[in-house]
Amino acid sequence: MTMTVPRGARAGSDVAPRKGQRRGRGRRVALFLAMVVVAVVMLYPFWFMINTSLKTQDQYVSGSGHSLTSWSKLTSVLPVGSQLTNSMIVCVLSIAIIVFVSSCAGFAFAKLRYRASTLVFLGIIAAMLIPMQSIIIPAYVNIAKVDLLTTYFGAVLVYAALGTPFATFLMTAYYRGLPDELIEAGIIDGLGYGRVFLRIAVPMSVPAVVTVIVLQFIQIWDDLLIGLLFLQNTDQRTITVGLGVLSTGRVTDIPVLMAGSLVSAIPAVIVYLVFQRYLISGLTAGIGK
Amino acid sequence: MGFVLSLPAFTLVTLLLGIPIIQAGYYSMTDWDGLNTIWIGPSTYLRVFKNPIFWRVLENNALLMLAVPVAILIPLGIAAILHERVYGWWLFRSIYFLPTAVSWVVIGMVAARFFARDGTLNQILAAIGLGGIQTDFLSGERTALLAVGLTFIWSMIGTNTIIFLTGMATIDPALQEAARVDGAGALRIFRHITFPLLKRFVQFSFIITVISAFTGLFSLIFVMTGGGPGYGTTTLEFFVYQTAFAQGAFGTGALLGVILLVIMVIIGLAQLKLLRSDD
Repeated sequence: MTMTVPRGARAGSDVAPRKGQRRGRGRRVALFLAMVVVAVVMLYPFWFMINTSLKTQDQYVSGSGHSLTSWSKLTSVLPVGSQLTNSMIVCVLSIAIIVFVSSCAGFAFAKLRYRASTLVFLGIIAAMLIPMQSIIIPAYVNIAKVDLLTTYFGAVLVYAALGTPFATFLMTAYYRGLPDELIEAGIIDGLGYGRVFLRIAVPMSVPAVVTVIVLQFIQIWDDLLIGLLFLQNTDQRTITVGLGVLSTGRVTDIPVLMAGSLVSAIPAVIVYLVFQRYLISGLTAGIGK
Repeated sequence: MGFVLSLPAFTLVTLLLGIPIIQAGYYSMTDWDGLNTIWIGPSTYLRVFKNPIFWRVLENNALLMLAVPVAILIPLGIAAILHERVYGWWLFRSIYFLPTAVSWVVIGMVAARFFARDGTLNQILAAIGLGGIQTDFLSGERTALLAVGLTFIWSMIGTNTIIFLTGMATIDPALQEAARVDGAGALRIFRHITFPLLKRFVQFSFIITVISAFTGLFSLIFVMTGGGPGYGTTTLEFFVYQTAFAQGAFGTGALLGVILLVIMVIIGLAQLKLLRSDD
């Protein structure tokens, strides 16, 4: 009711641009509706998973009714608790390695250059081009030889190696942005390079480190191939691998699969919602100048 | 000191990526099932090139390339609209980007139901009077590939929209305003001002999209179609897995991996050349 008063007043006092304004408004409404349609398309899978998980298989087939049965059946089909823990263990170990090696190397390439450092840097960056399918067979054979296929460490090492090139690229770019004077001041104050790195550079690189962590968390959490091959011990499977295997197996209870899908997606979605900004900056970091 | 600090990263990458690449080159010229190795030589490549299945697989990769322009143009349009600060644009941006966080396994499972005989797509087709083209999409070779391609396009929307929004934010609004004052319409402004200034971002999203199409779809295909029906949705990356781990032909699998790497390197070099030619 109150809305109509100012609108009418504006139209009355400003007759000439009225037509254009109204066309502008119509256009904005049309664009808004187009965006709503896209939003519906993008959110559809989430709605489908939630809606379907709240049915029994019979209700899913018939298309009506809701029930919590599928959720109570979930843990008997998929060991959700232990697989979520496995995912967490694998993510934390891999990301710890990636953050450690890429911070050290990034600082070296940016601030402690040595004779062959450009070459070593380019070598590591070039590894970004290597698709995991190209190294997976030799890596599998090598990891089997050192008996790591039945531990977490085989998969962890492969994830760490695959994540390191881009992380090193990000960290190097970030450390390059820190002023050299800052490092020199630390050296003059009597800190060695080691302590300058730990006490000055590392604390300042937190935003870049968060970007690396978020990107890698989503990547590793969502991976199927490495986990499928390098976690031979069924008890060590991650939730994504567990779900992937389940989907090709005998379980045809779709609502249960959807409940499992939701559970597996939630941690990465939460990380996404909280750290969206970092994910975007990591994604666009590759564009360069 | 610098050398010592870069050593862990260098060692990790060398041991787990560098050496395996060289090994893959060696394995590719052997007949090898994981236990017994027989050296054959470069003729293994000829053998693969003579295999019609190999060409069928590359054909699938080529057909998936048709999805790339669509996966770029749709987000370009979305970004152009969001950039006009449509009401609630920041919420839309978050929603569109959300699938980026979700695994292919999950997306593939939903997609498999969406394209199924009694799935949502067929219901929509029936509702809008196109019941005649209703089909079980995943049971035909071409329609299954179409389903994989559509799912791929859907999943790239968020990433590419973000890239273009970032690009549009770097454009001086005064340029667009000047054109508007001169009487140019929204479409002309987009074509003659916004789009040329976005070139670098379009190239970047092109590369990301092509790389994803070639090397990022394993889990989707694994869950959605298993590469089938027949070889209908087997792409090169999936063929590597199938050959090595389902059929036990490690040598041939490694060979296919080498070919995949060569394709990626060619694409990478082409991109480098494109970027250089701008300066």
